[in-house]
Amino acid sequence: MSASRTSGRRALRLTATLTASALSITLLAACGSGGSSDAAPASDGQPVTITFWGWAKGTKEVVDAFNASHKDVQVNFEQIPSGVAGGYAKISDASKAGNAPDVFNVEYAALPDFVSQGAVQDITKLVSTDLKAKYLPQAVELTTLAKAQWALPLDAAPQALFYRKDLFEKAGITTAPQTWDEYRADAQKLKAANPNTRIGTFFPDDPSTFEALSWQAGAHWFTGQQDTWSVDINSSQTKSVTDYWQQMVADDLVRVQPSFSQQWTASLQKGETAAYLGAAWGGGVLKSTLASTPDASGKWAVAPIPSWDGKPASGMLGGSVFAVSKNSKKAKAAVEFATWATTTPEGIKARIASGTSSLFPADPELIPSAKAAFNTDFYGGQDIYSVFVDSSKSIRPGWTWGPTMGLTNNAMKDVFGKLGQGGTIQSAVDAAQQGTIAELKNRGLKVAQ
Amino acid sequence: MTDRTTGTTGPSRAATVRRRGRGGAPALLLAPFFVLFTAATLVPIGYAVYLSLFTERRSGLGFGAPETVFTGLANYGRALGDPAYRDGYLTIAQYCLLYIPVMVCLSLAVALLLDSVLARAKRFFQLALFLPHAVPGIIAALVWTYLYTPGISPVLDALSGAGAQLDVLGHPLPAVVNMAVWEWTGYNMIIFFAALQAVPREVLEAAVVDGAGALRTAFSIKVPLIKASIAMVGLFTVIGSLQLFTEPVILRGASPGVTSTWTPNMYAYTAAFERNDYGLAAAASVLLALAAALLSYVVTRATRGRSARRTEATR
Amino acid sequence: MSTHAKQHRPWALSKAAVNGALVLVTLYTLLPLGWLLTASAKNTPDLLGGNTLTPGNFHLGQNLHDLATADGGIYWRWYLNSLLYAGGGALLCAFICVCAGYAFEVYRFRGKEKLFGLVLVGVLVPTTALALPMYLLASEVGIVNTFWAVFLPSLVFPFGVYLSRIFVAGYVPGEVLEAARMDGAGELRTFWSIGLKMVMPGFVTVFLFQFTAIWNNFFLPLVMLSDTKLFPVSLGLYSWNSQTHAEPQFYPLVVTGSLLAVLPLVIAFVALQRHWKAGLTAGSVK
Repeated sequence: MSASRTSGRRALRLTATLTASALSITLLAACGSGGSSDAAPASDGQPVTITFWGWAKGTKEVVDAFNASHKDVQVNFEQIPSGVAGGYAKISDASKAGNAPDVFNVEYAALPDFVSQGAVQDITKLVSTDLKAKYLPQAVELTTLAKAQWALPLDAAPQALFYRKDLFEKAGITTAPQTWDEYRADAQKLKAANPNTRIGTFFPDDPSTFEALSWQAGAHWFTGQQDTWSVDINSSQTKSVTDYWQQMVADDLVRVQPSFSQQWTASLQKGETAAYLGAAWGGGVLKSTLASTPDASGKWAVAPIPSWDGKPASGMLGGSVFAVSKNSKKAKAAVEFATWATTTPEGIKARIASGTSSLFPADPELIPSAKAAFNTDFYGGQDIYSVFVDSSKSIRPGWTWGPTMGLTNNAMKDVFGKLGQGGTIQSAVDAAQQGTIAELKNRGLKVAQ
Repeated sequence: MTDRTTGTTGPSRAATVRRRGRGGAPALLLAPFFVLFTAATLVPIGYAVYLSLFTERRSGLGFGAPETVFTGLANYGRALGDPAYRDGYLTIAQYCLLYIPVMVCLSLAVALLLDSVLARAKRFFQLALFLPHAVPGIIAALVWTYLYTPGISPVLDALSGAGAQLDVLGHPLPAVVNMAVWEWTGYNMIIFFAALQAVPREVLEAAVVDGAGALRTAFSIKVPLIKASIAMVGLFTVIGSLQLFTEPVILRGASPGVTSTWTPNMYAYTAAFERNDYGLAAAASVLLALAAALLSYVVTRATRGRSARRTEATR
Repeated sequence: MSTHAKQHRPWALSKAAVNGALVLVTLYTLLPLGWLLTASAKNTPDLLGGNTLTPGNFHLGQNLHDLATADGGIYWRWYLNSLLYAGGGALLCAFICVCAGYAFEVYRFRGKEKLFGLVLVGVLVPTTALALPMYLLASEVGIVNTFWAVFLPSLVFPFGVYLSRIFVAGYVPGEVLEAARMDGAGELRTFWSIGLKMVMPGFVTVFLFQFTAIWNNFFLPLVMLSDTKLFPVSLGLYSWNSQTHAEPQFYPLVVTGSLLAVLPLVIAFVALQRHWKAGLTAGSVK
């Protein structure tokens, strides 16, 4: 019943009305065969059971809270590996085989790919203007493709710098770096203080950090105008990022290790990596990654991500949406669940209170709830959400993801993987540019030259 | 993944009196196998060939429904024209060049050692050496990945304590070769050992009478006598190598030098599941099966020739 | 052997060298298994801290408990699935192979050697090159992500047919079959009550080979299955290993789970030594 408590949720109220009589009837079976049509619960009183795949931290808690407070819709949650770690392949596979879940999480970057594959359902008709107005405009922009609404945004992912205060202090650094020049200088200081310490990591297996840094620098990799794509992966803005990180790698000021790998986790545990360039959600991930490490807690702090000119600027690193799969016959129930998970204080509290998530809600009204629910002991009691709020205001508008990100990312990381053996970041960028254009053409799409 | 290492000749002598099939008994006995064989081998290949002739095309910005068009051999052109696909075969070739000599020499050496009168506890050694073969490839790869990771591996820590820094993860090829050597040496050693046991004792005694030492007997008498087994193991290993998939896929999590298209199998997998390009995936698989068929032909030719000669010699 | 008596010292030396070399190679093969054994008793910080070979900090009980309860105890489900895929599949497969091998060896019929040639070609086609085409076909037929998508392809084992033919030739004397025929026994009855019984050791060998192959198979279930409840152990461990990305508490589960997944095969190989040796040597030492 808590669902109808919050005002202004038209979709919910509609569903509630439809089920009002149904609720009094005895619940019969648990198995969800009620998906006969697009409509909400069948009139025989059985709840609609939808299946849901995701991997974001705290998702299980959200589902439990939803199931406990809803009788008309029940969610069957399955945890899958994160997108780049095989989750996307799994969703594609299931989608082709006709057994995709009703609703699943994807990152903004992957959404156009899934829409282009025909794996996602157009939910424009199920999303009211009121609902849309709740989310950050950047997030709505990224879920609107070819004028249709394809997903509901869960979180915005403003970038942030996570760092070990104690290690920075030992190296004589008193404030977090504000510019990339300072970041580089601090990297040198940290290494000088302890030859085994690096300021951060270049992730060769996952280009999303590099993409967010290019976004921050003002690049626009994809632009779709009318029916033509232009691809500017190797633009001059990207080049400044490329050259900077190439130099950091060449001077051995950052480690080159796969993201969230054994090596990376081990080097964080041992204090050999002193900082992490992440996004808001990284706060919870970092905390749970180091949960079993004694004496890690309380030493970390969060700062805005450094910028080129010292003025706040951010891209978006990751960030997830709820998409309804093409063949789901329970789109309405799926949207009801996604709406609850992304726009109600209960939904966000359940996630953050799990202690493992620090995501930044795409619905700004929920930020106070998120802030109140997050236990900041790991960050020495710092108010990390106010850092994220500032950062979110500096997210550069106008970024678009292309429909070939799976291929673009693969092209880039295949060359990133050769960084130790003579490969360069620039050659990865070039490979991505060429591979992307070739793939767009192969799909029969127009590409501006 | 079984390595079909045996299989040089058909059964050479029939111990039974052959009889004409009556009442359809042979057909009945053969049917289950051939029905399944057709369903799981011939039909999939045919279907893959069919799929490889089509490509999905889209319009606008690419968010509408795709349309499937017949593109003839274009997918084959794309696969063969893609340096990433060709590099996959190059990887396999380099892998074979490193893996086969190392593995064959090691398993042969161990078999010779075990065959020597000096060896003790033969049964124990055979079992201990064969055990890695009982470990699923994915688990072997997981364990070795731990043992390759600096700061986690006790082996690398011990080595770096002794002053030797080994960057295994930076060199995926030898890293994968080592996993394969570990998994297959014992297996092939058993084949060599069995072949050595079958060497007629008179030949060896004659060598001793001639005053040949143990080493000379091993290299100039025993090894030439089991040449057919060695050739067979080598060639079948090439065919097994074309299938390389599990080990690099696991290693990839720790060693980004392993690309998404590192082997032809990985290329096909990536095309199907990450690019959703079924036509390309089908073409890549068909080409791989063709390459395997070609190699198989060479294998059967080569081994048939050899074993025929060997049969002549022993008669 | 009188030469040996004369040169007693070098003989002892080379004996030490031979056995020493064998011990070295054995160390190489057993080290990763030893690591697996000790590492399965470690928690995440020790595992990632490199303290795996040292005793102490013994968490095996905790790891087993976590393994049994993680994701609602799904590990045991995977284990059962593997036993079903590998045990059931290998049993049925061995029977099918022995049937075909018996037919090839005992009967004469038209096109026999051509058909047998087809089997030999099947031996040489790599199974993983077939996995993707099989997936494409299975998704067309609609059996992707079902038990059958993994089970049915595991019944096809051309090398098993080849082995069976050799075993029938070796174990089933023609005179016995001839005698049964004189007594008026039907062909299928003869096969069932005499042929199958006599070729039993060969049957066990084929079973063992295919059991290992199915238990170790990774590519086929990887492409075919997306429902975790259908996963075999190999794929389940792979999916958990992917989850370690963001959740390091899965590291010990993967390691302990791996140890348990290796055990049945190790036991089978130790217990049935005679049979795998027979299989490995049947083709090559004729």
